[in-house]
Amino acid sequence: MKSTKNQLPQSIEKFLSWVCKDDLLEEILGDLQEYQEELTDKPNWKKWIFYWFQAIHFLRPFALKKVASYSSYNRIPMFKNYYKTSFRSLMRNPLSSFINIFGLSVAIGICLVVYAFFEYDYSVDRFHKNKDEVYLITSHTNRDGTDQQFGLTPTPLGEMMHNDFSQIEKMCRIEDGNVVMKHGDNVFHEQVRFADHEFLEMFTFPLKWGTAGSLSDVSSIILSEEMSIKYFGETNPVGKDILMIFGENRSKAFKVVGVSEAFPEAHIIDFDFLVNFENFKLSDTSFDLNDWSTFVNATLIQVDNPTQINSIKQRMVKYKALQNEVEKDWAISSFDFVQLHDLHLKSGKIKDDISYDASAEGRIALPIIALFMLALACFNYINMAVVSAAKRLREIGVRKVMGAYKRLIVIQFLTENILVTLFALVMGIFLAVTIFIPWFSGIADRALGLQLLDGNLWIFSLLLLLFTGIVSGLYPAFYISRFEAVTIFKGSVKFGKKNSLTKILLGTQLVLACISVTGGVVFTQNTIYQSTRSWGYAPTDALYMEVPNYAAYEQMKTVMFQNPNVLSLSGSSQHLGKSLTTTMVHLANQQYEVEQLSADAHYLQTMGLQLKQGRFFKENYESDKQAIVVNELLVKNLVLKQPIGQLFEIDSIKYEVIGVVQDFHNYSFYTPVKPTIIKVASEEEYQYLSIKMRKGTEKNTFQAAQTEWSKLFPEIPFQGGYQEDVWGDYFESLADMESFNKAIAFIAVLLASLGLYGLVTLDVAGRMREFSIRKTLGAKVKNIAANITQQYLLLTVIAFIIGMPLSFFLVQAELALVFAYAKPISYLDLTLSVVILLISLLAVIFIQIRKVSKTNLVEGLKVE
Amino acid sequence: MLSKIEQIGMSKQHLGEFEELVLLLIVMLKEDAYGLAIRKGLKEHAERTVTIGAVHGTVNRLEKKGLIESRLGGATDLRGGRRKRLFNITAFGRRALQQSQEVKVKLWRQIPELSLNILQYPI
Repeated sequence: MKSTKNQLPQSIEKFLSWVCKDDLLEEILGDLQEYQEELTDKPNWKKWIFYWFQAIHFLRPFALKKVASYSSYNRIPMFKNYYKTSFRSLMRNPLSSFINIFGLSVAIGICLVVYAFFEYDYSVDRFHKNKDEVYLITSHTNRDGTDQQFGLTPTPLGEMMHNDFSQIEKMCRIEDGNVVMKHGDNVFHEQVRFADHEFLEMFTFPLKWGTAGSLSDVSSIILSEEMSIKYFGETNPVGKDILMIFGENRSKAFKVVGVSEAFPEAHIIDFDFLVNFENFKLSDTSFDLNDWSTFVNATLIQVDNPTQINSIKQRMVKYKALQNEVEKDWAISSFDFVQLHDLHLKSGKIKDDISYDASAEGRIALPIIALFMLALACFNYINMAVVSAAKRLREIGVRKVMGAYKRLIVIQFLTENILVTLFALVMGIFLAVTIFIPWFSGIADRALGLQLLDGNLWIFSLLLLLFTGIVSGLYPAFYISRFEAVTIFKGSVKFGKKNSLTKILLGTQLVLACISVTGGVVFTQNTIYQSTRSWGYAPTDALYMEVPNYAAYEQMKTVMFQNPNVLSLSGSSQHLGKSLTTTMVHLANQQYEVEQLSADAHYLQTMGLQLKQGRFFKENYESDKQAIVVNELLVKNLVLKQPIGQLFEIDSIKYEVIGVVQDFHNYSFYTPVKPTIIKVASEEEYQYLSIKMRKGTEKNTFQAAQTEWSKLFPEIPFQGGYQEDVWGDYFESLADMESFNKAIAFIAVLLASLGLYGLVTLDVAGRMREFSIRKTLGAKVKNIAANITQQYLLLTVIAFIIGMPLSFFLVQAELALVFAYAKPISYLDLTLSVVILLISLLAVIFIQIRKVSKTNLVEGLKVE
Repeated sequence: MLSKIEQIGMSKQHLGEFEELVLLLIVMLKEDAYGLAIRKGLKEHAERTVTIGAVHGTVNRLEKKGLIESRLGGATDLRGGRRKRLFNITAFGRRALQQSQEVKVKLWRQIPELSLNILQYPI
C-alpha cells in the first residue's frame, strides 16, 4: 500500500502530461515517483518543493511537446476540400441556404444603414478647416434650480472679448432676419443671415464664384448656390445687384460678390444670403450694439490653439457681471464654449443655438434595431445549422476517421460560415445601396449614402463579417464537431430535435418579433390617435397670413371683411403654430417662465380657443392693456385657487388675469404644452392676420385672400396658408415614423417566420417516415397537425408571456422618447400584435402540414 | 542502417564529459540501468548531484547518437505501476568509450613523470 501513500501530486502529473511528449511521460513520472523514496523523512512542503524542482527541470527541448507540428504539410488541398464541401452542402440545401443568406443579408443591410446614419451624423459640419479652433459661445442660466445652456449670447459680448483677449483670432456674430428679396420679377420672402465678415474664414465654405473676403464691404452679399439659381439662373451673378426689402420704405440694394458651392450633404450651419452684420440695424431698427440686455443668435470665436479656451473661460466673470447688472430676469450664471467639431452632437442640450441635433433618438434606437435584426438572423443560422447537422454527420465521421482533430472540424465549419456570411455581406451591401438606404433617406430626410471606397466602411464590413460569422457559427461548429466517429457510424447519434438551445433561440426570436410587431401596431395606432387629437383650438377652417405692419393689416382687413365667407378676423403679433415669445412672470417674489402671445379681441373666436373662466379681451384696446388671459396649465402649475383677478408682474408692470382658456398646442404634439399667457397686442405690433371662414369655402376664401393681397401689395409676396397646414411636416414625420416601424416589424416577422419555416421543414423532412407510418395506421391530418404544432405551442406561449410585457415597456419607452402626448398602449394593441404574429406562425406551420398530407405514403416509407 | 550510425559516429565522435560518465554508469549498472539508478550512481561514484531531468536529457541524447539502446522494463509498485526504461550500451557506444579512453591514456603516457608530480603538487 506504499504506492497509494506515495502518490505523485496531481498537479505535477497534470503539468508534466501537459508539457511533455506522451511517449516519454511514463518513464518520467515513474522515475519521479520512485524518487520520493529519497524524501520520505522530509516534511511535506519540502517534498513538494523538491518535486516541483525536479519537474521543472524536465522543461528541456527533448521532452517538450512540439507546438506547431503540421506546418510542414501542404494544407491547400485541405482548404480546397473545405470549400468544395461547403459549396456542395449549400447547393444541396437550397432552402436553408437561402434562408440563412437572405436573413443575414437583410440584417447586414440594416447594419450598413445604421453605419451610414452614424457616418453622416459624425460628419455634420466637420468639413470646415477650422472646426477645432472655432467655438460657439454659449451661456448658462439657472432658473427654478434647473440649469439650461443657451446658444444665445449678449449682443456686445463678442466685440468686447475680441478686444480683450489677444488669443482670439477671429470673432463672428450671427443674426437672422426675414426679408423680401427682389431681383427683376423674382420676389420672394427669404431669410437672410447677418454675420461679421470673418464668417467665411471661420466656416470655410468653398465658393463657386467670387471671393470670401469681400463680405467686409457693407453692401455686398454672398448667395448660396441654390439662391443664385433661384434668382439668376445658371449664369454667374457676381457684380449684379439684388434688392433687400426690410419693411415699408426700408430697403437696400446689395451687390453680389460671391456664390457658394453646393453645401456638402452633411451640414446644418449654412446660409441662403449672407450680408455684413452692420446691416442688421436696417432689419431691426431698435437694435443696439451696446445693449447687454439683448441677445444675438450666435457669437463664435476662433483661437490659435484649442488649449487657450480654458484660460479664456476663466476670465469670463467680468462679462457675467455686466450682463447680470442690466438683465436680472435672464441672469447668466456662466459662459461656456462649444467646439464647432462637436457642436452638432451637443446641440440637443443647447437651446436656441444655430445648430440642432435631430438624431439623438436615432443614435439610441438604430443600433438597438440593427442588433435585433442581426440577432434574429444569427439565431436562424444557428438553429438551421444545429438541426441540419444530421445531414452532415457522415462527413464529420469520415473526417474524424481520416484523422481530423475536433479543432480542425470547428475551423472547417467556421470558415464555411464566414463564406456564407461573405455572400450575405455582398448581398447586404447590394440591398443597402439599392433599397434600404434610399428608403431610409426618405424617412430620415437626409441623403445618406455609402461611399464604397471609404476605408472605414470596409473595416466596418470586415468586422461585421467576422462578428456575424463567428457569433452565428461558433455554437454549430462546436456542436457538430462534438460527435464521436464511432457513434455516428453506429447510427446512434441523437441530433437536433431535443436541443434546448434551438428552442431558446427560437423563443428569443419570437420575443424580438413580438416587440417589433407591437412597435409597428402601436405606432400605427398612435398616428391615428395623433391626427384625431384636439389641438385645443379649431385649425380646420382658419387661415393666416403675415402682414408687414399695421397699415397693411388695416387695408387687408377692410378688403377681406367684404367677403361674405369671412366669419371673423383678427390681428396678432404672434400666431399659433408660427411664432411666440417667452417672458418671465413674477408672482409673490417668484418668477416663472411662460410663453406669450399678443393678439386682439377677436383672436379667441377666430382661432376657436375655448374659454373656461372669465372673459376675453374687449374691443377697446386701452381698457384691457393690463389684462392677461392664461391657459389652464398655468393655473394648475401655479396652484391658483382663484385665477380671475390674480395679479402678475411682467417687466415691472402689473397685469390682472381676466380669463382662463383651455390648453392649446402652440407646437406640434412632440413638445408638451407650456404655461402660456395672452396679452393684448398694440397696433404697431401686428404681424399676423387670421381669418375664420365659413365651412366649405376654405379654398375660395384662401384664393380670394391671395388675389386681394397681390392687388394691394404687388411688391410683397403673399405669405400665409391654411392653419391646418402649419403642422404639415408634423403629420408627414408621423407617417414616416409609422412606415419605419412597420417596415422593421415586417422584417422581424419575416426573419422569425423564415427561421421557423426552416426549422419545421427540417423537422418534417426528418420525420417523414414516422408520419407515413402514422398515416398508415390511420392517423388523420389533424392528428399529424396536432403532433407538429404541439412542440411549438408551449414555446410560443412562453415567448408571448415574456414578450408581451417586454414589448409593452420597450415600445412605451420609444413612444415617450419621441412624443409628449403619446397614445397609451392598450391591451388591444398587444392582442393585435400577438394575433398578427400567430397568424404568420400558423401559416408557416400550415404549409408544412399540407405538404405532409399531400405526400404519398409509399414515398415516405420507401427505404433506399 | 549501419552506415548511418557510422556517419553520425564519424561526425560526433567525441563524447562529452558528462555523457561519458553516464555511459560508463550504464555499463556498470548492467541490467538495471534506468534514469533514477543512473542518477544514484552519479551521486555515489562521482559525487555529482543532478536533476532527474538532466539524466533523462543525456540518455535521450546518447540514444539518438546511437551509443545506447533502450527497452521497457518491468513495472513496480514503487513507481505507481509505471515501467522503467532500461538502457544498454551498443557496440558503437562501447567503441566510443574505448576511443575516449585510448585518447586519454595516450595523452597520459606522453606526460613525463616530473610534470606529473607538478600536477599533483602545484607550486
